[in-house]
Amino acid sequence: MATNTRYPTGVHPLLVEETARRRRIEARFVDAFDGAGFREVVLPIIDYVEPYASLAGGAASKQSYRFVDREGDLVAIRADFTPMLARALAPAIAEETLPLRLFYRGDVIRVEASRLGANRELFQIGAEIIGDDSIDADVAMLRLAAELASEPAIVYNDVSIAAVLIAQSSAVREALSAKRMTSGVPAALQTIVAKLISGEATLDDVAPFAPEAAARLSAIGEALAGDDTFVLHLDDIEDIGYYTGLRFRVYAGPSRAKVAQGGRYDNLYERFGQRAAAIGFTFTIDDLD
Amino acid sequence: MRIAIPKGRLQDKVLGVFAGAGYDVPDEADLKTRKLVFDRGGIEWIFVKDGDVPVYVEHGAADAGIAGLDQILEHECTAYQPVELPFGHCKMMLIAAPGAPPLTKVATKYPRITRQFLDSRRVRAEIVPLGGSVELAAVLKLTSHVVDLVETGETVRVHKLELQDVIAEISPRLIVGKNFYRTEPKQVRELIARVEEAVNVAK
Repeated sequence: MATNTRYPTGVHPLLVEETARRRRIEARFVDAFDGAGFREVVLPIIDYVEPYASLAGGAASKQSYRFVDREGDLVAIRADFTPMLARALAPAIAEETLPLRLFYRGDVIRVEASRLGANRELFQIGAEIIGDDSIDADVAMLRLAAELASEPAIVYNDVSIAAVLIAQSSAVREALSAKRMTSGVPAALQTIVAKLISGEATLDDVAPFAPEAAARLSAIGEALAGDDTFVLHLDDIEDIGYYTGLRFRVYAGPSRAKVAQGGRYDNLYERFGQRAAAIGFTFTIDDLD
Repeated sequence: MRIAIPKGRLQDKVLGVFAGAGYDVPDEADLKTRKLVFDRGGIEWIFVKDGDVPVYVEHGAADAGIAGLDQILEHECTAYQPVELPFGHCKMMLIAAPGAPPLTKVATKYPRITRQFLDSRRVRAEIVPLGGSVELAAVLKLTSHVVDLVETGETVRVHKLELQDVIAEISPRLIVGKNFYRTEPKQVRELIARVEEAVNVAK
């Protein structure tokens, strides 16, 4: 085929000006991370598939380019930094060194053939706090994410609320994903699901189902009070993956493009041999204005 | 706010819903011009091929639109679907050629939906993507089956084809792009409430 004139779907070189632009943004992020006490780590561009096989949903692995290496082992190109950092770090964590503040940067390659044109190489910069399950850490990461984006709007929620409801009936997932009530939702959950869909639900409404999450969101809300950058969206249940608590998305600029996302994944390190709470976010630099 | 309207079969009814919801929609005379974007009362209306509505909304080129579940599924569109419209309902079906031969080849306008259906049934069959009139493929024995929308079943009866399986119940829905939904909650809530109200009145 005529490959002389084009690149594989979703990849392209950055020439002088684009590279300069990327480096400027990178420098700004690195400065902010340095200032907030985060230190950099570098992760490999490929890794074995097997260590990640047990991760919930396996969304990232489904989205990765995979191949068999010379020894016959299945290998994937990096598609998500977070599990890789957990695998790299877990065996080396000593309790007394926690909490750790780390950041990383580099390319991920996602193959989302199904999604409309979302198949591409992405340059990402992310940061994590490992070994701190406090509300202060949640708030610190939300504020840091807001600082890094221009005109940010941050939508946040706690994934454990939807998890409790979905555990009672899978129809709840359908209704919340489509944002439309369906007859399959059990009578006992109709009221709460309807309120979530219509956006009327308050923390008091969800507290009977998920008291801890509601209390935590309420504390986060108090800490962020008066800053309208942050908006609680109790109906946001997408892409739960390995997340266990706070989940947020960052929209930026006049176009309101999604530029970053993150959350808390307190069970992830445990899967790689060491218990440690963690929270992080990742910016996709090419999406920034 | 920019709203994508599907051209063709459902266009008039869809515009009727928005008119019923109190929106100032483009009229016949407007639509006969060569214009592509119509600005009315602060809303930009765009008219696109029905299958393209999910593409515009998924990419954020339109904030909301009306799309059939067939097109939503075929494009694996992730937009929210807050309101189901009360017309244009039909079924996505597996239809056999006359004499119901074994399932070996399927002609369809919906290759992705068909692939998922065949995979879920663990059937190994070849898919022949066509642009339209897919029943003809079964009539002419190009394929053993077709996957297509069935409204009245008239075409199927006339050609002695056989309805075998319902793959999905199809209906048009108001779809809202995720970014728009998350970043403009006030506009989104108003849009949904007004369309819902108009749909309930029309019922």
